[in-house]
Amino acid sequence: MNIQKRNNVRVTGNGEVTMVFAHGFGCDQNMWRLLVPDFAPRFRVITFDLVGSGNSDLSAYSQTKYGSLQGYADDLLEILDQYASGPVIFVGHSVSAMIGLLATIAAPERFLAQLMIGPSPCYVNDGDYVGGFEPEDIEDLLDTVDSNYLGWSSSIAPVIMGAPEQPALSIELTNSFCRTDPEIAKHFARVTFLSDHRADLGKSQVPALIIQCSDDVIAPVTVGEYMHRALPRSSLVVIDNVGHCPHLSSPSASTAAMEAFLASMER
Amino acid sequence: MEPPPSTLDERRLYEHAACGLVLTDQKGTILRCNATFCAWVGRTADELVGMLRIQDLFTMGGRVFHHTHILPLLQMQGSVSEVQIELRHADRSTLPALINIFRRKEGDVIFDELAVLIASDRRAYERELLLARRNAEASLQALAKTQKALQEHRDELRRADRKKDEFLATLAHELRNPLAPMRNVLEVLKLKALEDPQLIQARAVFERQMQQMAHLVDDLMDVSRITQGRVELRRERLDIAVMMGRAVEACAALIDAGAHQLRLTLPAQPLIVDADATRLTQILTNLLNNAAKYTPEGGSIWLEAEEDNGQVAVRVRDSGIGIPADHLVNVFNMFSQLEPALVRSQGGLGIGLALVKGLVALHGGVVEVFSEGAGMGSEFVVRLPLVAPDLDAGGAGPAAPEAEAAVALAPGDEQQRVLVVDDNRDAADVLAMALELLGFTVMQHYDGASALAAGPGLLPHVAILDIGLPDMDGYAVARAIREQPWGRDVLLVAATGWGQQRDKDAAATAGFDVHMVKPLDFEVLGKIIRQRRDAGRAGS
Repeated sequence: MNIQKRNNVRVTGNGEVTMVFAHGFGCDQNMWRLLVPDFAPRFRVITFDLVGSGNSDLSAYSQTKYGSLQGYADDLLEILDQYASGPVIFVGHSVSAMIGLLATIAAPERFLAQLMIGPSPCYVNDGDYVGGFEPEDIEDLLDTVDSNYLGWSSSIAPVIMGAPEQPALSIELTNSFCRTDPEIAKHFARVTFLSDHRADLGKSQVPALIIQCSDDVIAPVTVGEYMHRALPRSSLVVIDNVGHCPHLSSPSASTAAMEAFLASMER
Repeated sequence: MEPPPSTLDERRLYEHAACGLVLTDQKGTILRCNATFCAWVGRTADELVGMLRIQDLFTMGGRVFHHTHILPLLQMQGSVSEVQIELRHADRSTLPALINIFRRKEGDVIFDELAVLIASDRRAYERELLLARRNAEASLQALAKTQKALQEHRDELRRADRKKDEFLATLAHELRNPLAPMRNVLEVLKLKALEDPQLIQARAVFERQMQQMAHLVDDLMDVSRITQGRVELRRERLDIAVMMGRAVEACAALIDAGAHQLRLTLPAQPLIVDADATRLTQILTNLLNNAAKYTPEGGSIWLEAEEDNGQVAVRVRDSGIGIPADHLVNVFNMFSQLEPALVRSQGGLGIGLALVKGLVALHGGVVEVFSEGAGMGSEFVVRLPLVAPDLDAGGAGPAAPEAEAAVALAPGDEQQRVLVVDDNRDAADVLAMALELLGFTVMQHYDGASALAAGPGLLPHVAILDIGLPDMDGYAVARAIREQPWGRDVLLVAATGWGQQRDKDAAATAGFDVHMVKPLDFEVLGKIIRQRRDAGRAGS
């Protein structure tokens, strides 16, 4: 098993401590391009694509293995075994925050801290718990994913319209970003949005930072607050951001929250 | 013609454009939108501008997609194209829309410009496509499954077929074993001068049935060998007319018995084929026998040959019971006559025609069958490749069979001592009896060791060894005999059930002088023994 090829692992940066960045549902490790430059001078930085996303080895995708988030957590631990010597600072966006959480439960000694951006332990409303989604919303999402991946078939790259004020993106990026096999995308969406790891939150003793966006459809503030209550050694920071990707739309606020948390740990 | 002024009005063009136009800030808040868009979502501009964000008009799935795909794409590449989103109308109904977005930066402020198209038809079409794809995939899966099942069935059939062939080969072999001593008994009986007419008649019945059975077993054996690719042809240049004559001769008795009239038409000029004389005779006699068998008494049988398009076409036609159209296809398959419709007494395993087909194919030819139906007679046509006539005239045709040596005592026979070794006691005893009747001195043994032990006492001139012996096989016995002082010059005869070249080679290697296939032909055997005796005399 070639882990580098399977997860398209990239290692950059310099430092004694290693930071590992894991992207969420929808895109790939390019999500981190605005954040990594802030950390690369002081940390060894590992970025990778979840199997089924970006430039990972799609042939490694198995509906059985990745039928639960544990399959991704196992991959993460294998990446750490191969690429990191000491305990790492893990940064997980969205679903990857939960993947990281499962890994910290399985191997707490491998982690110094877990930084969670827009995490949700459970997306579907359940009694008093407000995850933000009704079951039919999940079906609606799968439907939307389906209609859009149809347009982005594997043979036709999406036409990138001229955007004069934006620097031109490399062909590689435009061709891979947010694209993958439609069947995998749907399965991943289903596994992600139907996952429920509320019961696992209490099992993780690795210090955690929860970065919560003020206006996020996928992870509403109530979810961040629930996480903070249920996760033993956690801090919660709410940053002013519309959307689910503050590391893209509010990179400085995101970096600031992360730096402050890491600084507090050093003290 | 100049368009009316109102059409040139840019504001009107914007408001009533054929697509929804929306301007939002970075967070999606609607800053401006045209009338077309307002109408599609069922709200006034006042209800939208500054009041709602574009994602508020999406369904839940669209909102998630907005967060996970559209916003990151706008951040990363400044534009999004052809996103399909369901727009929520004020009355809660939904409208499939296709959205393109440009992100523009003016100073530090970021704006998103949206163009929205209604995509109901496209959506419906795509759903059909998706459905069609799902159906196609389901069909493909079903097809793959069926093909796999078919393949398994084929493998199973092939296994069963192989087992059947192996079974038939073994069966033929096993049937042949008891035939040998029975035939020997018959030969012994024939050497006896019988007086009781009942016994004479019984012997005649025995002989006829015996021959019939031997013929069936031989055919079965040959078919098995053909299916297992174990028949070797001894090809030579043969004139088809000569072979036809020989086949007619062989079938004359049966044709006469049915009081049939045979009309033989030989080709005007010699037609030469490259064939095995024995096998070609077998092909023609099988067809002629068939014709005689399936033609009611007093019928007609035609045997003709002619050149046809570079081939020799031999036709065997009869005025017999014919073949129903639905049976024609299977007529050459073994077991085809197991059809209950056929008269039982006329039926059979269909070995004969299967053998004909196999033998003809081995010769690179084809055999065809024609029949107008039941009661209309049948016609079989064998087509074989034609060979140019040999310029050395007289080359065609097998060597004429040697004149049958009379089965009679010849001087000096009694001095010929013969050792018979066969673990089938009946076979050994009857063979011994027959050889004694032929005038030889015979001693039989039922295993190799005792035969070897008896050798010095008997000092045989001839040893006839069965190959499949219980203690040591016939090859080993032959080698051991050759090592004895008394065994160096013994005429060693191998008697086996198998007549393949490799069996003969194995026998020669072991030191055998002669290889004979069971049931042994006593006349031939007697002739060989006498030749040996004569040669020995000449030599000494």
